[in-house]
Amino acid sequence: MHPKFSRSLALVCFAISLTAHAQSSLQSGGDFSINPQPNALPSDVLLVKGAWSSASDSVTPVPEGGRVANNVFSNKYFGLTYALSPDWTEKYTGPPPSDSGYYVLAQIRPAGTSKGTSRGSILIAAQDLFFTLTRARTALELINFNKESLDAEYKVEQPPTLVRVANHSFVRFDYGSPVAELHWHALATQIRCHTVQFVFTSRDTKLVESLIQEMSKMTLPAEAGPISGRGGGEVPVCIKDYARDENVLERVDPVFGERRFNPVPVRIIINKEGKVKHIHFLSAFPDQVEAVTDALFQWRFRPYLRDGKPVEVETGIMFGRAPHPATTPSTNAATE
Amino acid sequence: MKTTKLASVVAILAALVFTGMASAQTDPGVRSNTGVNAGQPLASVTASPNDLAFFQTGLAQFNEHQTVTGDNPGLGPRFNLDSCGACHSQPAPGGTSPASGIFPNVGPNPQSQVIANGVVSGSTNTIPYFVFANGPVREARFPFFFDQFGNPNPNAPNGGVEDLFTVSGRTDAGSCSLQQPSFNTARVTNNIIFRIPTPVFGTGLMANIDDSTLLANHAAQANNRLGVGGAFNHNGNDGTISRFGWKAQNKSLMIFAGEAYNVEMGISNELFTQDRPLPGEDQLGSGLPANCLNLAGIGYPEDITHSDGATASTVTSDVGLFNTFMQFLDQPIPSTTSPGGATSIANGRSLFSAIGCALCHTPSLTTQASHLTSGLSNATAKLFSDIEIHHMGADLADNVSQGGAGGDQFRTAPLWGLGQRIFLLHDGRTANLLGAIQAHQSNGSEATQVEENFDLLSPSQQQDLLNFLRSL
Repeated sequence: MHPKFSRSLALVCFAISLTAHAQSSLQSGGDFSINPQPNALPSDVLLVKGAWSSASDSVTPVPEGGRVANNVFSNKYFGLTYALSPDWTEKYTGPPPSDSGYYVLAQIRPAGTSKGTSRGSILIAAQDLFFTLTRARTALELINFNKESLDAEYKVEQPPTLVRVANHSFVRFDYGSPVAELHWHALATQIRCHTVQFVFTSRDTKLVESLIQEMSKMTLPAEAGPISGRGGGEVPVCIKDYARDENVLERVDPVFGERRFNPVPVRIIINKEGKVKHIHFLSAFPDQVEAVTDALFQWRFRPYLRDGKPVEVETGIMFGRAPHPATTPSTNAATE
Repeated sequence: MKTTKLASVVAILAALVFTGMASAQTDPGVRSNTGVNAGQPLASVTASPNDLAFFQTGLAQFNEHQTVTGDNPGLGPRFNLDSCGACHSQPAPGGTSPASGIFPNVGPNPQSQVIANGVVSGSTNTIPYFVFANGPVREARFPFFFDQFGNPNPNAPNGGVEDLFTVSGRTDAGSCSLQQPSFNTARVTNNIIFRIPTPVFGTGLMANIDDSTLLANHAAQANNRLGVGGAFNHNGNDGTISRFGWKAQNKSLMIFAGEAYNVEMGISNELFTQDRPLPGEDQLGSGLPANCLNLAGIGYPEDITHSDGATASTVTSDVGLFNTFMQFLDQPIPSTTSPGGATSIANGRSLFSAIGCALCHTPSLTTQASHLTSGLSNATAKLFSDIEIHHMGADLADNVSQGGAGGDQFRTAPLWGLGQRIFLLHDGRTANLLGAIQAHQSNGSEATQVEENFDLLSPSQQQDLLNFLRSL
């Protein structure tokens, strides 16, 4: 026998004996591990997501893309910046968007851990008016609805009222809980067909007023207003239900697999040629993202014309199982 | 004189400190002065001899200890314990994890006693590092499979139950030889999460809430200003809302019972018809070895409907009896006076709603008409849950996906019976209500703002809220 061949045969036999030994004793892999120095997974990190938000590209801003940096909250999608009070910070980031279009953009609170009545919190949130479960069509209607649907345990301290903040029009609504001795002051405006809302909570109304005063340093897009925020200018105009009826020239329906019973709200930007330029999934499983993306990029739309010229348009489409609004807004409330 | 002044100052300071300590909010703990306030059948069941017989038979079956062979066969080859009622025992059968020395003193964690009680062989099984006599009862899962090098693989989600024990070494287990999963390596690699038993009191009422009621409640709460979203887990077959289990992954109590019988005790049944291997044995390997199959010697499924039974309750399968027992279990009875007195509890209830807890922990929902028993018809289920799944943030996330629920989503835990629960949250990580409330706040949690509101309450208000919760 050739020496090289005999050495190779010995190695093969050794390898087989090792394999046989491993099979006859402890298993490794699957539910078992015999690695004496394994690598540990990171703690407190979400690695397995359910339905989540995503987008067809990473360049186009999305509503949930805001950040607090250098003590300033900025959000490119909404075109706003908000300087925090020097001793306030964002400790915890918010959850992903809900499948009814509710966003927690930032949660701000005092940086220290001291207890006392001077403490409070600021919630910056947005509600996509294309997917709200109310019948509100504007930020103003949504806040009026808030007031009309307020539970009896709360006391209205100031009904929805139009105010000016940072040279833009907001609707302000104050209420409180006598039993909790807490006050909520909400200021809302509309940007790109979303209600963008600042909710101040504290036991101390003076603190809240001082925080509201500091909102004057905000920067906002020109469109911001309780009913006026419908995009345009630097960003696409937003139109509810544009992707239907005669506006859709070609349509390919996505085919969902195993997961098909959850709502899949999608915002799209249609370019001047009537093609889908950008897709933003508020909440979808990865296989649904793939199916809808493949389908939507085949859709063709009638270009949206403004003053006779085609412009980009942003609209919403609900795939999957759409929940139905169960309530109606009040008409007996503030008007603009 | 100087000494006298100093003593006075010290006394005043001490008084202030102790006053502060006395007024600081504390979890009143398990309510022990009102008797056991759960575990009874619905009044309409008690009034019906046939229904009551069914309930009592179900209760007996729920508490029965299973063996590999013999009169109560089918245990294993892998299992977490040998009886439903051993895990679901606090404060009464149908409840959750017990602990010694805490009212009503059901006993030590039964998983810690399996070798002493002869349920498993101590020569082939060890008590996992996370099982203690003072609880809680635990189910373990590995979020990810280990790769061939022994490292958890984030690209290979597992999430299935890793049963704690095997029948190996028992005299009735023949030559079946199985190793326990790699719990110690999972610990070192941070690849293990736990679940404690969910109480099943009042679950017949939960099962009988129509989807339309849940959807209307969801729509009513959706327009909140506290950062709360919420979604439903849907049954993959018919798309309706599923509602049982920590992630609302099970559609019905029958499925819940059938799965638990199979997964927790290793007993095949008419819903889950095979003996269950570990997730890796099933998906990555070849299943259970042949000498670990049909250990009971009666074929599959081991639990069946008995065509030779003499009465309705003896015809019914074990799973069917578990289902009936759970459907007929009444909701726990809250106290109006303990702990803290009626005024404090009433105040706490108002605060619970005012700061936003009730957005998810919906105080009550109304059931639809029931074909089973009148007690389930058009009844007020005071469950304190919306049966939705919510993002609970990175700290509570377990990286286990079930149905449509992701790794950070959990069903709003029903709070009925909370006053007599020992261990809290899905993994029983705390027995302190304050700790459980604070755990609601973390990166990615829908409950951060509500927890922030809790922090804004005064200590006495927080105490009222804690008293209210322990009155449930």
